Amino acid sequence: MLRLLIEKELRETIGTTKFAVTFAVCALLILLAFYVGARNYQVSQSEYEAAKAENLKQMEGLTDWNQVDHRIFLPPQPLATLVSGISNDIGRTVEVRTRGELRPQDSRFNADPIYAVFRFLDLEFIFSIVLSLFAILFAYDAVNGEKERGTLRLAFANAVPRDTYIMGKLIGAFLALSVPLLIPILLGCLLLPLLGVPMAGGDWVRLGMLILSGYLYLGVFLTLSVFVSALTEHSSSSFLLMLVIWIFAVLIIPRTAVLVAGRAVDVPSIDQISYEKNRYNAQLWAEDREKMNTYWRENPPSQDAPREEVMLKFRSFMTELSDAREANARELAGRLNEDRLNREQVQQRIALSIARLSPASVFSLASSDLAGTSLDLKQRYLEAANAYQQMYEAFIREKTGSSGGFMIMIGGQSEKEPDPIDPMELPAFEYKQPETASFVEKSMLDLGLLLVFNLVFFAGAFITFLRYDVR
Amino acid sequence: MFKILVEKELKAILLSPKFVATFGVCALLILLSVFVGIQEYNAAQEQYETAQQLLNQEVSEATSWWGINNKAYRAPDPMQIFVSGINNDVGRLSNISTWTEVKLEESTYANDTLFAVFRFIDFAFIVQVVLSLFAILFTYDAINGERESGTLKLALSNAVPRGKFMLAKFTGAWLGLTIPLLIPILLAALIVMLLRVPMDALAWAKLGTLFGASVLYFTFFIALGLLVSALTKRSSVSFLILLVAWVVLVLIVPRAATMAAGQLLQVPGVAEIESQKDRFSTDRWDAYRKERTQMWETRTAQMAGMTETERDNFRGQNEARWQQEETDSRQVVQEDIAEQARKLNEDLRNQKAEQERLAFLLSRFSPTSSYQLTAMNLGGTNTALKTRYEDAMRSYRTTFAQFVESKRQEEMEKNRRSQGQRGVMIMGGGDETLDVSELPRFQAPSHTYAEAVAPSVVDFGLLSLFSLLAFGGAFMAFLRYDVR
Amino acid sequence: METPVPMSDASTAPAAAASRPMLEAVGLSKRYEDGHLALDNMSFQVYPGQVYAMLGGNGAGKTTTINLFLNFIEPTEGEARVDGIVTHREPLKAKERIAYVSENVMLYPNFTAMQNLDFFARLGGKTKYTKEDYRKVLLRVGLEEAAHNRRLKGFSKGMRQKCGIAIAILKDAPAILLDEPTSGLDPKAGLEFIRLLHDLRAEGKAILMSTHDIFRAKEISDIVGIMNGGKLVMQRTHDDLEGENLETLYVQYMAGYMEEVG
Repeated sequence: MLRLLIEKELRETIGTTKFAVTFAVCALLILLAFYVGARNYQVSQSEYEAAKAENLKQMEGLTDWNQVDHRIFLPPQPLATLVSGISNDIGRTVEVRTRGELRPQDSRFNADPIYAVFRFLDLEFIFSIVLSLFAILFAYDAVNGEKERGTLRLAFANAVPRDTYIMGKLIGAFLALSVPLLIPILLGCLLLPLLGVPMAGGDWVRLGMLILSGYLYLGVFLTLSVFVSALTEHSSSSFLLMLVIWIFAVLIIPRTAVLVAGRAVDVPSIDQISYEKNRYNAQLWAEDREKMNTYWRENPPSQDAPREEVMLKFRSFMTELSDAREANARELAGRLNEDRLNREQVQQRIALSIARLSPASVFSLASSDLAGTSLDLKQRYLEAANAYQQMYEAFIREKTGSSGGFMIMIGGQSEKEPDPIDPMELPAFEYKQPETASFVEKSMLDLGLLLVFNLVFFAGAFITFLRYDVR
Repeated sequence: MFKILVEKELKAILLSPKFVATFGVCALLILLSVFVGIQEYNAAQEQYETAQQLLNQEVSEATSWWGINNKAYRAPDPMQIFVSGINNDVGRLSNISTWTEVKLEESTYANDTLFAVFRFIDFAFIVQVVLSLFAILFTYDAINGERESGTLKLALSNAVPRGKFMLAKFTGAWLGLTIPLLIPILLAALIVMLLRVPMDALAWAKLGTLFGASVLYFTFFIALGLLVSALTKRSSVSFLILLVAWVVLVLIVPRAATMAAGQLLQVPGVAEIESQKDRFSTDRWDAYRKERTQMWETRTAQMAGMTETERDNFRGQNEARWQQEETDSRQVVQEDIAEQARKLNEDLRNQKAEQERLAFLLSRFSPTSSYQLTAMNLGGTNTALKTRYEDAMRSYRTTFAQFVESKRQEEMEKNRRSQGQRGVMIMGGGDETLDVSELPRFQAPSHTYAEAVAPSVVDFGLLSLFSLLAFGGAFMAFLRYDVR
Repeated sequence: METPVPMSDASTAPAAAASRPMLEAVGLSKRYEDGHLALDNMSFQVYPGQVYAMLGGNGAGKTTTINLFLNFIEPTEGEARVDGIVTHREPLKAKERIAYVSENVMLYPNFTAMQNLDFFARLGGKTKYTKEDYRKVLLRVGLEEAAHNRRLKGFSKGMRQKCGIAIAILKDAPAILLDEPTSGLDPKAGLEFIRLLHDLRAEGKAILMSTHDIFRAKEISDIVGIMNGGKLVMQRTHDDLEGENLETLYVQYMAGYMEEVG
């Protein structure tokens, strides 16, 4: 009986123009998202390679490691092209100096504001906005449409248990929408390696879970639509209601949650923190200048001492000062940054908790977590950059004997030109993604929530239908 | 006759149950977006003012003209309440110094990335996405719905010319949908006034034009709904077609166009250009240092064989001239670097402008793009926002650099007199703070009405054209419509 | 068909007062693009004060005939005339003289009965009616007063039908076209409807009616025309039918015709 009902559902749905049209549009969009994502990755990758190459090239011919301007870049992530998340909002380039705080710069949107005009068409967008609308279109008249057509009465003139009927409806709706979509999704997945996007085993796992989360999300709208369909008499009412719910869930709640949290939690402004850091630095520098003056007063260069020796001693003194200054500055910066970070995290927690009232936010968070483009990305990149800075500092110190971030001209003319540096000696910056397991772990909460939404609405549809007036 | 039909249309729309629900949602969204926009604007204004204060403080605490940290900030604009555009994506401030060039950094979304997770819904977004859906919802069965119910037959069994009937349909639908929307729009304007948002006549003019563009955009979707309704027999079919059309026009085309342009016209990345500039700068300063060392050696050679007093005299006579030479050669270096940067920037900018032109051209297949572009032009939050500010900041930097250079000369003079060690000069003055009262301040560039509207003339034209075509098509289709 | 069908001359039918028919089909034919011949050389006249009933199965051409008079479609041959005006040449002029009640009357669901009447009356050129006029007409057609100000949404088929007839009455046009007016009406409502038709006929209206209802057709009509496959296969006046059993005739001609061809 259940099988018969499900078959009828499938046959009824798949034969319609509605199905053909929506399937065509969805398939096209999914393939487009994968294709564009892959091409975007290629473009980003070549941009990345060019940046790295140019970075090394501009060091050629320099003779002093202290002259070097070194930059590191955030490499493009394969899955980021499917779920852009915040990857286009954060700075990608970091100017690495041995001293001072690192500031990522040149976010995609800041550097190329044209992309901010219309933003990106990624898989997350298609699932979250377009496919959800089509899910509603499929299921909004699941129950009351049959009533309107008179076929509900007819069905129940037979010995059909109500629970079987509604199960058939729900399963049928889900299968009708999800199975056909597998085709373009699998094709899209094939496109990625074909177009040269490097996908490791872990990436595939994450992509698989991403698609799973998309399906769960569609399931939410399907079950909810069936539920609302069983709550209303006329299909026009259920459609309207679902549309209003969609607008609230997809457009209003997520953004409002963030704004409310923004209002509720006070995060110290970045300008304030910059100011305090700058002021402290200026203070430290003023103190050190005093010390420098004192040094020269106490150690006036004698006529007979070779200039080079004098300068070397001065340089080690300066390095000491610089190290101490750096340590102090770091300490203050660390404190201020940590405080801000903590507040930000509180804000984030509140915002995302409220946002999770909407399945659209939940899906968005799950998908960006799995793709590695959630808010964590910013923090991870900064941490990696900071770790690299230490490596770099050690390297420069080894090469030049100091890493004070200043240049002291040792001596005047020398007989021959010093040898040019070899940029290849620089330690390479590798941004390593965390383990797949940690991504999966982070998204568990949201995947679980999507599942809960599904179950709740499923149950709602079920229970409501048991008492539905079929006449 | 015409009046009767229009009245009927109006009543039919206003009395339908879906009207209350959908109008309620639209009104709520409009008011919410404006209210939230005002909060955001106030926060941005506060942030701007605080930043200015902090900047002033920092500048006044500086003790040397060599170590002064100057910045220029973008001023918030009330139009951003309605059209946030790229306002939060583009840097808020730029460092102003003689060593580095102007570059907008630290966008709101880069600093407070939480707000980028779910972006801001502004008025323009609601018009584009929600109001267009609203229009479709009401017109998708304008013709075929009446056919399905039989009222079309009944109406046309009277002496009603088809053209008049269709015109009345359009007028009635337009009045019935647009006029109610004026209520939340006017309320929004009222809220703006009541909450004392500083709107001058120019801002009101832009806002009015934005409202006009919104109505035009909305009109297109009404016409589109009528068109599809007059081309199909069943309302379920026209609804599906319209939904797909909506998805394609509103959601897909604008984004796809930009991405297509990005693929077709590749532009070198910013990082690459930055590295090129850096290298040039390093080389140039290197050359300067070598030059300077040589100059000093020449001078030292000149002073060889002089007595202590003779040396002092010599120095005293030539000090001013030497300082001038140094300042001059330093300025030459800065100018060279600036010129190189300018060339590279301009090159990049031209390429980007090409890309932009292509992207916008492709996207204009959809009236939604036209509207979005118009809205951003009016709001001053289009891509020109970045260039407008960067240009203004660049000319400010020149003024600032000139002022600071002259002050530095003075400072160097003072230092030379008070210090006097051989070969070692530590830059930086004493412990007294500087007199920064005469320091030129950055003035935010204005955004005139002409600048706001001129680039959108095309889009207004397109929107009107699309609407006329859609309505014309609907009209023609209805003349041959099978009413049975 | 073997023998030419004996047609009664409409002009000999009772109550043919005027010299010119109000509704006239002259060699009316309609062939669709796909080749289907919906109407084949149809000719008849309806004089003022006459009721002409078209009988026939589904697809016989009854609705097509009505649609031709309303200029919803155009004839491939022949003419449909209203008061001498050829409809496909001067449709608007013709429509001023027609009142129409469709088979399944669905009016504007969110308007009340009164509001629907008001709109259609005005559309028909009658702008001077008052609320009282509408009330009277609705009562005349048998719609209880309580329903007058209720929205159409909740109306049963019979109630909607009555509204449709009320609209036709209010238009006060010399010709009335009725498409299956009694289908779906209970016997009481059907009887009321027939009484109304009597009154309208007495007022001098020319009424063209398509129906399945043989009983009522015999009762009220002056002329009965049986249609099959787009052709008018039989036409009898009321008097001619007096003795005969219309049902038998109907079935005979339907079956006979089908046997001939098959």
